[in-house]
Amino acid sequence: MASEMQNSNPTILNAADLPTRLQPARSHKLGIFGNGLFASALPSVDASGFLLGGFTSSSESESDDDLLEEPIDEQEIYDLVSTISDPEHPISLGALAVVSLPDISITPTLPYVPASPLRTVTVLITPTITHCSLATVIGLGVRVRLEQSLPPRFRVDVRIKEGTHSTADEVNKQLADKERVAAALENGTLMGVIAKMLETCL
Amino acid sequence: MTENPTASLTLLSDLTPPSLERTWLTAPHPSLPILATCSSDKTVRVYSLTNFRLLSTISGGHKRSVRTCAWKPHVQGESVLATGSFDATVGIWRRWDSYGRAEDDTDVRGLSSETLNGNGRDTQKDEDDEEWRFAVLLDGHDSEVKSVSWSPSGMLLATCSRDKSIWIWEDLDDGDNNFETVAVMQEHEGDVKCVAWHPVEECLASASYDNTIRLWREDIDDWGQVACIRGHTGTVWYLDWEGIGNVPSITAVCEQGTSLSAEWKDQCAISGPRLVSCSDDRTIRIWKRKPKEQWAQSRVASSDIPSIIRPTGTDETWEEDVLLPQMHELSIYAVAWSKRTGLLASVGADGRIVVYEELLKTPAPTLDANTPTATPATTFQPHTEWVVIAILEGAHGIYEINHVAWARRADRSREENEEVLVTTADDGSIKTWTLRR
Repeated sequence: MASEMQNSNPTILNAADLPTRLQPARSHKLGIFGNGLFASALPSVDASGFLLGGFTSSSESESDDDLLEEPIDEQEIYDLVSTISDPEHPISLGALAVVSLPDISITPTLPYVPASPLRTVTVLITPTITHCSLATVIGLGVRVRLEQSLPPRFRVDVRIKEGTHSTADEVNKQLADKERVAAALENGTLMGVIAKMLETCL
Repeated sequence: MTENPTASLTLLSDLTPPSLERTWLTAPHPSLPILATCSSDKTVRVYSLTNFRLLSTISGGHKRSVRTCAWKPHVQGESVLATGSFDATVGIWRRWDSYGRAEDDTDVRGLSSETLNGNGRDTQKDEDDEEWRFAVLLDGHDSEVKSVSWSPSGMLLATCSRDKSIWIWEDLDDGDNNFETVAVMQEHEGDVKCVAWHPVEECLASASYDNTIRLWREDIDDWGQVACIRGHTGTVWYLDWEGIGNVPSITAVCEQGTSLSAEWKDQCAISGPRLVSCSDDRTIRIWKRKPKEQWAQSRVASSDIPSIIRPTGTDETWEEDVLLPQMHELSIYAVAWSKRTGLLASVGADGRIVVYEELLKTPAPTLDANTPTATPATTFQPHTEWVVIAILEGAHGIYEINHVAWARRADRSREENEEVLVTTADDGSIKTWTLRR
């Protein structure tokens, strides 16, 4: 795998240009990315109040600026997955633009059951090249990272962004198959690769 | 969600203690009031349906998650369990039924403190009597085993895997735990998720990641595919057969009721039991075999192939009988067709339990007009409708439900022939439910 790279010269984004709100020094980024994000994402984040029937208090949480009290939002998902390393390069998925903030969304899992606390986190992956055979491994890494980090009421949906991969449907079907994912987690070799990818996550 | 449920599911009891890891499937014993639950912790947990407590844990056989298990039918004095694991092997386990009989006694007398203490009663017995004996490991699959099923006679065991193959093993019953490979079928184009034997015939149904359901029979010493059913647009997760002699409920008391039931039975005698499937495409479909004679006639009529060429051909035509009301919003992982009541139950990733009932209706008068080519024998075709009678949201809280099964109720508050639903979930919990009409 290492001897023959699929993409030996990937485009790498400048770390300072990546969306963040974790480092106070770059808090101005919050203005650029944060506002845009909040404007589009808050209605759905909002409905995800942690408690059943937390529907009524939604307007309060909207104006709540305390990040510690904030429910899990897209930026937090981004922070969880953007630090994962590419299996081929010692570069993060964020820097490679394999994952990006606009391609992350959080929606109610059961829209017709308003009281349900279930939320689906959808992460669309953009492989660096359209025939990258490592797309499944990257997708699995993202799925594992989120399943290990998020509370169990979150359902993780990791897919290849439309039009960015030659066998996207095949990869998506595998990543959505709970049984296959469960079995993959028990595969030592595969988990070795995933563990290495996740080493760079805090 | 336009349905109006007329029944409700009430929690009877959790099976305790639960597994600490994901549980995949729970198999009720064919005759004893016990259940076996497969867990990701590599063990199988055997629970009592009398007091809902853990009786024993089968461990040490599998190196990875136990995904599936099935009790061998018609075994005297002993229980035999087949287990399938992500470690690509199938285990066969045996245990003398002395323990189960003790459970039965308790059942009759009511709960004693002895059984509430779990294995208390058994400690007086010989060690060997208590233990699940590991009998044999069936090695052959290349990757995770997903489902195992015993044929109605108990002679054959079918196993299937992510390696896209189905293996049929014959239990030689030679007292030496020998199994012989009878057939390996590799026609599926993706993981085989489920295998299920016809309730009386040696006919196997399989469901796959390739979105198809296939049927298999032995034809002069060779096992082969006799039908490939396409219709689902996603992975087919689970299959179950209709019980023999199942008759749907009559909607209202009417004069035609008796004759309707009789007509129904005649129809069933021709086409045989139906098959139900559930899928990642969020649908549940029921499939019916096209009666052989009728099929042969239609072939003659269309004069494509004279029926004389293959008068006893093994190919079967299966058609969609009905698409059940769509009540699930996410992947449907399991469906269970009660052999006692004919009720259907389904569960899946949305955490919902749905129960359906089939109602026999008066035949529609316009039936003839719709089927101009039908032979006179089929003009009076009983017609049924499936209705949702119960929905339970979040049955295991926020967790996905992986399996559902019907079992005979065995605790002391039971009514005669009453059934319970047993659901198995991602958090390791197993719950039993009663249906109140």
